[in-house]
Amino acid sequence: MKYYLYWGCSLEGSGANYLVSLKPVFKTLGVEFEEIEDWNCCGASISYVGANDLSLKVLNARNLALAESKGSHDIVAPCSSCYIQMIKVNHEIKEDEELAKKVNQILAEGGLSYKGSIRVRHLMDVLYYDVGLEKIRQKAVKPLNGLKVAGYVGCQSVRPYGEYDSVERPVIQDRILEALGAQAVAFPKKMRCCGSGIFLPEMEYSFRLVRDILQDAVDHGGELISTVCPMCAMNLEVYQPRINRAFGTNFDIPIVYLTQLMAAAFGLDLKREAALDHNIIPPETILKAAVG
Amino acid sequence: MEKRENNGRSNYNTSFSQEVFQNVDYGEEIKMCMQCGVCAASCPLSLQMDYPPRQIFAMIRAGKRQEVLSSKSIMLCTSCYACKVRCPRGIPVIDVMHGLAHYAFKQGFVPRKKTANFGREFWNQIYRLGRIDEKDLSRRYFFADGFVDGIKNGLEMADMGITMVVHKRMKLLPERKIKGIQSLRKMLDKAAEMGKGGARR
Repeated sequence: MKYYLYWGCSLEGSGANYLVSLKPVFKTLGVEFEEIEDWNCCGASISYVGANDLSLKVLNARNLALAESKGSHDIVAPCSSCYIQMIKVNHEIKEDEELAKKVNQILAEGGLSYKGSIRVRHLMDVLYYDVGLEKIRQKAVKPLNGLKVAGYVGCQSVRPYGEYDSVERPVIQDRILEALGAQAVAFPKKMRCCGSGIFLPEMEYSFRLVRDILQDAVDHGGELISTVCPMCAMNLEVYQPRINRAFGTNFDIPIVYLTQLMAAAFGLDLKREAALDHNIIPPETILKAAVG
Repeated sequence: MEKRENNGRSNYNTSFSQEVFQNVDYGEEIKMCMQCGVCAASCPLSLQMDYPPRQIFAMIRAGKRQEVLSSKSIMLCTSCYACKVRCPRGIPVIDVMHGLAHYAFKQGFVPRKKTANFGREFWNQIYRLGRIDEKDLSRRYFFADGFVDGIKNGLEMADMGITMVVHKRMKLLPERKIKGIQSLRKMLDKAAEMGKGGARR
């Protein structure tokens, strides 16, 4: 199992705990990966203000072309924004010959071309379909003993294509949580958007979205929330104190990446490999109590 | 009997819809809209909008150029794709809204100043570096409206910045361009010229 790993800008900064925990998790599961050399940003969910659609397509086509020039492995994107931007362009290029021509004409300016041979996958897709729950269960030597986790899916990791999971009722994150020994909590807002890329400029509106998601997770018994998106993690965790101030609530619920829970359940080092020290609302106490 | 023009149909102003079809990315998709409102019901921020997406599409057909391009709705898309997934006519509502936001911005309309600043700085940074450097992006965004606002914004968010550094979630190295930045810029220049959205300026 080998992939091109496109981790994107966030995972080098605010989402560092995702990347730090992802690498040892892949190693434990025997998943090999290679960085796409000299990759560029995917454009994320706000670039459209300054850029037209073709520019955003070219941005992603360049990454696809760089991967294709090295071989034929699938690209795995752990960040939901990277994933959606890249898979969207990949689909559109494959479906629209005229667009493919146009994009290639532009890529040629940089000596690149893209034939359309690469498949783009989300991390959860790879974990569920390529690695498999059995292997994950096997490696979970320190199972999470019924820890109640609210698996927050958000939006872009499954929408709009639903390549590997339902766009309305996704289950894969929950199945992975269960394979780790956790109890996946059902909560209606698990697919509701957190404000995503416009969170920072539209804080007043986004605060309400996040408050509702947190409240829903807590009301349904979630002891912590897991996510596979650096924007979800940022918006739900880092702004919690400000949301408490704005609404008079007292949320104190840790937000962890699914890979951090995997690292913990695999018995890896909680600080160095699960990157729990990166979390602002500390999940250690809850996790240690569960893992024992 | 009074002779009526257009066989009695009212004189619809189609010049704006033509403008949208021609110049806005995915603009032609709104031809499929049957005004059911599922997009509005699915949107996490539709209650904050002055006009929900459904109504924006109707207004385009009715020629309401000024109202549409200065509406805050077109800048309030969180890109969650719920509308695109649920639209019974298969309209990529999100892509149309993004297209409208870009077009409005290019035409000098700024319905949501902060979001416009953020989006512009975000794109400028990709053009400059090829990647996003979060600390630099926040600095530029905070200072987009001048020095005084910048200091105020910076102070307001300072505690968060410090927390991020302490928890190793802020890259402290100076910003770095990707190796292929020159060729990337050449491609992006060409895409800006060949694509839609910037016409009539």
